[in-house]
Amino acid sequence: MRQSRSQRALGRLLPTLVLIASAIFFAFPLLAMARFAFQNLQVIDLGWNNLFEKWSFSSVTASFSDDFFAEALTLSLKLAVGTALFTLGLLVPTAVWVHLRLPKARVFVEFLTILPYVIPAIALVAGIVVVKPHARWFLNSDYSLIPFYVVLALPFTYRSIDTGLRAIDLKVLVEASRSLGSTWIATLFRVVIPNLRAAIISSTFLTVAVVLGEYTISDVLLKRTFPSFMAQYRQSDPRGGYALAILALLGTTLLFVAIGILSKSRSTRPQQVSRSQENEILV
Amino acid sequence: MTSLSFTGIRKTFGTTVALESLDLALQPGELVSLLGPSGCGKTTALRIAAGFEIPDTGVVSLGESVITDTPAHRRNMGMVFQSYSLFPNLTVAQNVDFGLRNRKVEKAKRNSRVGEMLELVQLGELGKRYPHQLSGGQQQRVALARALAVQPEVLLLDEPLSALDAKVRSTLRDEIRRIQSELKTTTLFVTHDQDEALAISDRIGVMSNGRLEQLGTPEDVYLRPASPFVARFVGSINELPNSNGVGKILVRPEDITISEDENELTMRGTVTRVTFQGPVTIISVRVDMNDQLVNVHAASGSIHAQVGDRVSLDVTPGRGIIEAA
Repeated sequence: MRQSRSQRALGRLLPTLVLIASAIFFAFPLLAMARFAFQNLQVIDLGWNNLFEKWSFSSVTASFSDDFFAEALTLSLKLAVGTALFTLGLLVPTAVWVHLRLPKARVFVEFLTILPYVIPAIALVAGIVVVKPHARWFLNSDYSLIPFYVVLALPFTYRSIDTGLRAIDLKVLVEASRSLGSTWIATLFRVVIPNLRAAIISSTFLTVAVVLGEYTISDVLLKRTFPSFMAQYRQSDPRGGYALAILALLGTTLLFVAIGILSKSRSTRPQQVSRSQENEILV
Repeated sequence: MTSLSFTGIRKTFGTTVALESLDLALQPGELVSLLGPSGCGKTTALRIAAGFEIPDTGVVSLGESVITDTPAHRRNMGMVFQSYSLFPNLTVAQNVDFGLRNRKVEKAKRNSRVGEMLELVQLGELGKRYPHQLSGGQQQRVALARALAVQPEVLLLDEPLSALDAKVRSTLRDEIRRIQSELKTTTLFVTHDQDEALAISDRIGVMSNGRLEQLGTPEDVYLRPASPFVARFVGSINELPNSNGVGKILVRPEDITISEDENELTMRGTVTRVTFQGPVTIISVRVDMNDQLVNVHAASGSIHAQVGDRVSLDVTPGRGIIEAA
């Protein structure tokens, strides 16, 4: 049965309306938060008539001068680098091995990696509380957060690496490399990793996003990471705290945009030469 | 030039027997094809030679050395795969250079070898391109150059032409034969395409159910098949009733004589189809005796039979093999 013109118009309009409604749903609270953080007015005075008045970055610049700001940000960045390296060191060989030698175990590994997503961080914290008295030597170090962050980031990082591995003909590339005289290690560094570049970058960005956003575990372990600093700072200066949160959100968004651009550039590279072109070349 | 031999090789995957006591020896400089249907064990044999599979029992030897348990990267073999296996992150020249770098050959020698190999496969101008900028045929040529660059003792070709279309396949098939003859590299070529095997090989090993059914020259395999399976798998075949009534005679279409005189030869039948194919015309005849269709290849112009005509047929003396009932 043919659709009427009005039905077709509605079919086109509906997705646009849903998109606009979703954008408002997500953007409105953020814009409200931005007004609170960056508009130099009392909350009680905020209204439509002064929407564009007295905007300033003073709240966020004030937070920069806090004694603990640089320390917290540096620690979080170090943790992000450590977590990214640890994650890659653990995941890339594991995922390659599973793809090559244990393809049937892939479903099980996927299930394992999704657990941190299903089980809330607070459950992990409960576990930490139990082991804390026996592992103080380890938990006293700021870097003890790294293994926890690796686990928390697993649902995102494993998927990213796994997708990268599915996009290449891993078995044939590895066998080609081995038949040309490469050891397993050389194959990993000269063939697998270079061809997983986009997946590795995306996994790293996702790790950084998790580390810069995680609060629960660092708070329980009394570490002064950037999210902990933000939470504490918000208590003394709510506007500055929210301004920092917006900046962190902006940073994370930029990371995701970068992932998008990198993935796009990978998928839009020149296509295989067509059969007809091939015949022209060879005849 | 080195020989490669398989002695008593058996390989199972779970309960599936992939290879059952394979004995095969490639002479130095020889090109042997393993031909057979999917699942016959030909690729498993090649992967055992490459070191990607370890046999349950048996011995693989390269020249005088036993290499059954030698890891793949220490075997000094070159391999070209069925799917495009060039490293996407490296240029054509870097791909060809890959194995030479592993062998720590000095740079000047490597560069000259890479140039030499690319000239050999007629892609001298494309060294700076990336694999995705090449056609499928060009990629397989580069893969061949890459495999040969390391001067392997044995070249292993795992259906390297099957992903290509007919025209490119035939060109590259001739190229492989030319290069192999030029370099005299002992070569094991796996294929399911009989035309490819017949055109390219010094000897063909026809495999079925993990066993080597026949090993012989292309002429042997085609003209003197050792078993009904070989007769049926290589070339086309007609099944005629045996004159003594027991079993069948398997005979090639070109080994049947046809006469437009219904009473001249022993079998009679009616023409059901005439297909002109240039130098040869295929005449399909329904034989009275068993009501089966028999295809006959006749030189075009030699017979002027039409659909519905009555004709007589006979098997050329000394041709055809008998299959017991």
